[in-house]
Amino acid sequence: MVDAAPAIFVALEQSAFSAAVRQSAWIYPAANIGHILALAAFAGAVAVMDVGLLAGAITSNSTRQFVRARTSAVAGFAALVISGFVLFSAEASHLAVNPVFQAKLALIAAALVNAALFELYARRTLAKVPPGAAIPIGVKVAGVFSLGIWICVAACGRSIAYF
Amino acid sequence: MKKTAVAFSAFVFLTGAALAHHGWGSYDAANPVTVAGAILTAKFENPHATIMVQQSDKTWTIILAPTSRMNTRGASAKVIAVGNNVSAYGYPSTAVKDEMRAERITVDGKTYEMR
Repeated sequence: MVDAAPAIFVALEQSAFSAAVRQSAWIYPAANIGHILALAAFAGAVAVMDVGLLAGAITSNSTRQFVRARTSAVAGFAALVISGFVLFSAEASHLAVNPVFQAKLALIAAALVNAALFELYARRTLAKVPPGAAIPIGVKVAGVFSLGIWICVAACGRSIAYF
Repeated sequence: MKKTAVAFSAFVFLTGAALAHHGWGSYDAANPVTVAGAILTAKFENPHATIMVQQSDKTWTIILAPTSRMNTRGASAKVIAVGNNVSAYGYPSTAVKDEMRAERITVDGKTYEMR
């Protein structure tokens, strides 16, 4: 049996905004398409950063590339959150108790913590690495975690409808 | 190679944990049901149109298709309007009591595919 959702999600689902999302012929499909396009932009930017780090293509000499990719990732993430909220609001009381949706949110939180740790510690370490030298293991671990967690987030997202 | 293995194991672990649950989207295709009766409520909404139909002492919530597909198949809001008699063939939910997902519905002698 599905557990009852917390009142805040029931209220969101019953709001005028959510009703408009459900009753419009185009808002829900548009949010769906927007979510996928934002995902493509976000995943591409994340891959540039993470694969760049792991392959040693991004080093202290090329942090400009990293910063540009990060700007794209932040923009893509914002678009994912906005389109995702529209999709969520249409059936908030169901999704809030969906185990795959809960796993997805937990994974997003873990990926953001990983990114914050990278910003706080690993980038400083990376800046000290001389050109051509090996990337420190801590930085690589952050890259592996980032790629792995975001792939799982995408898999969860696609799986929500089947649970 | 090691990194790929780590990411893959994490993926298998997480989806494996998810598979152990049953949530909103689980329907029992092995035990199809046919629900027939008058439409009590109708929501012509995304992501899926839904109707409620009473059959003997049970009120079924019947999940139909997205509104654009409903329109394309001819199953417009008028077809599933409150009061119309409907016969719905589909699969009961394993998660939500008295809910089913319709494979096809018949209204006024005309059958509409929902998939």
